[in-house]
Amino acid sequence: MGLKAYLNDIVEAVVTTAKGMRITARYGVDPKEEVTLQYPEERWEIPTGYRGFLHNDILKCTACTMCVKVCPVDCISLESVRGADKKMVLASYDINIGRCMYCGLCVEVCPPKSLKHTAGYELASTTRGELILHFISEAAAEVKARVARQVAEAAAKAEEAAKAAEAAKPPDLSSDLSSEAARAAKEEAAKAGGDDPKAANLPSEASNVAKEGAEAPKAAPEKKE
Amino acid sequence: MEALALSLVNAVPPLAGVPLWAVTLLLMVATAAVVLVFALTFEGVGSLVLRKVAGDIQARIGPNRVGPKGILQFLADGVKLVLKEDIIPANADRLLFKLAPYFVFVGSFAAFVVVPFGVGLIAADLNIGIYYVMAVTSLVVIGVLLAGWASNNKWALLGGMRAAAQIVSYEIPVGMALIPAVLIAGSLSLQDIVRSQGGLLGIFGWNLFHNPFTFFSFFLYFTAAQAETNQTPFDLPEAESELVSGYNVEYSGIRFGLFFLAEFGDMFIVAALSTACFLGGWNVPFFHVGTLPWIWGNLLSLGVFLAKAFTMVLIMMWVRWTLPRLRVDQLMRMAWKYLVPLTFVNLLGVSLWLLVFKGKGIPGMIASLFG
Repeated sequence: MGLKAYLNDIVEAVVTTAKGMRITARYGVDPKEEVTLQYPEERWEIPTGYRGFLHNDILKCTACTMCVKVCPVDCISLESVRGADKKMVLASYDINIGRCMYCGLCVEVCPPKSLKHTAGYELASTTRGELILHFISEAAAEVKARVARQVAEAAAKAEEAAKAAEAAKPPDLSSDLSSEAARAAKEEAAKAGGDDPKAANLPSEASNVAKEGAEAPKAAPEKKE
Repeated sequence: MEALALSLVNAVPPLAGVPLWAVTLLLMVATAAVVLVFALTFEGVGSLVLRKVAGDIQARIGPNRVGPKGILQFLADGVKLVLKEDIIPANADRLLFKLAPYFVFVGSFAAFVVVPFGVGLIAADLNIGIYYVMAVTSLVVIGVLLAGWASNNKWALLGGMRAAAQIVSYEIPVGMALIPAVLIAGSLSLQDIVRSQGGLLGIFGWNLFHNPFTFFSFFLYFTAAQAETNQTPFDLPEAESELVSGYNVEYSGIRFGLFFLAEFGDMFIVAALSTACFLGGWNVPFFHVGTLPWIWGNLLSLGVFLAKAFTMVLIMMWVRWTLPRLRVDQLMRMAWKYLVPLTFVNLLGVSLWLLVFKGKGIPGMIASLFG
C-alpha cells in the first residue's frame, strides 16, 4: 500500500464517520423522527376492510351453514333447528377465535351478510376456552326445547283447526285419511281467509318436526365439532 | 491529605486529642466515598442517558416506564441487578470467577482518584497522574481476561482474548496521544496540565488549539481511548452478535453489575482525561478561578469541568450509536498501521514545535503579536 492509498484511507475514515454522525445527529435531534407507537396509550388507525375478530349478527343470520362449510380451520360451529315458521332457528353459534386465521372466507360467503369482521384485535385469556366467542347467550338445549314447544303448539293449533274444518265439513267424506283431512283443512282455512294461515301450513309436516324436536335435543340437524 | 488533616485538626479544637493518622485515614475514606458515590451516580444516570440517546438516534423513545419520562429506570436496573441470583457455572474456576469483576471495577474506579474535578477538587493530585491512569486502567485487561478464562465458556474466553489483544494494542496510541499535553505542561500531574491551559487566552489556551499537532492528537486520543474502553465501534470483547455477550456471558447479578459499572466508569475516565488534557479542564474561559473564594471557585470549576466531560460522554454515545462494529483484523490494523504511526508522528511534531517555538502555541504567538 502506497502512501497515497494510506492517506486516502485515513481521509475516507474521517469523512465517512462524519457523514454517519451527521445522520445520527439529525435523527437524535429531530423529535418528529420517532416512529414508536406507545401501544396501550396510543393506537393505530384501523384501515377500512381490516380483518379483525368476527361478529355474527344473529338476527340476520339464516343458519345456512355456509360459513361452517367454507372455514378452512373449522373454527365456526353452529347448531340450528327448524322453527315453527319453517325457518331455521339458531340454537348456538360459536367461533373459536383462537383458531381463526382471519382469512375472511366466511365473511365473503355469507349470503345474508350477517357475518362481519370487526376492528377488534385484542383478546387475551389464560385458558383457550375463553377464546371461543358465543353469539347466543342461551344454552343450545334450552333454545331447542323452546323451539320444539313452539312447534308443538303450532302443530296442535293446526290439528285443532283441521278438526274444526273436519267438523264443519259433511261427514260423508272419508275422515280416516289424515292427509285428505289436512288438505281439506287447508282449503277450508284458505276459504275462511286468514283464520290462522300459519298453523294451517301443512300440519302433518309441522307435527313431524315437533316430534323430532321433542324427541331429543342431541338430534341437531347441523352439528360440527 | 495529611496537610488537610492537620489543618482540620487545627480548625476544630475537639479533634486535638485524636491522633493525626486517624484523622488522615478518616479523610481518605470520606474522599474515597465521595468519589465512589459520584462514580456510581454517574454510572447509573449514564446508563439511562445512553439508552435515551440510543432511542433518539434510532428514532425510538427509549425507557419511559419507570417514573416520569423513565428517569428512574437506572434505579430499577440497579435493584434488579442487585437482587438477581448470582450464578457461578459448575465448571468455572470459582476463585478467579469471583475475583475478575473486582479487578475490572477497581481498575476503572481507581482512575477516578486523579480526575481533576475543580481547582482544589481532586482526591489525590499525584505527580504522575496520567501515568497512574494509564497503569491502573490496564488492570481492566487482567480482570477481563480472568473473567473469560474462569467462566470456562468458549465465548467468554474468546471475548477475554480479544479484550486483551485490543486493550494492550490501544494502550500505545492512547499513551502517545496524551504525551503532547504532558510535554506542554512539563508535568505528569493532571492538575498541572489543567493549569497550563489557563490564562487569559480563553478557549484558545486549551491544548486542543495549541498547535496543529495537538489538535490531531485530541482526535487520535479520543478514537484510541474509545477502543481501549471497549466502546461500541470497537466493542469486540462483548460483540453480542458474535460472542453472545463476550467475557461477561456467564456473569449475573451484582457481578455482572460491576462489569457494567466499570464500562461506564471507563467512559467517564476517557471523557475526563480528554477534557483535562485537551479541553482546558476546569478552567473558566477569560477568568481566573483561583481568585474566587474557595467554595465558589471550586463549585464554578466543578461545573465547567463536568459540563465539558459530560459533553464528551455524549459525543462518545453519539459515536457509539453511529458506527458499526469493526472486524478483529480491521481493529488490529487500525491500531498498528494507523493509530500507532500517526500518534508517533504527532508526538514528533509536537516535540519539534515546542523546540522550535520555545513552547509557545499558535494562539500564544498571535496574542504576543498584539502585545
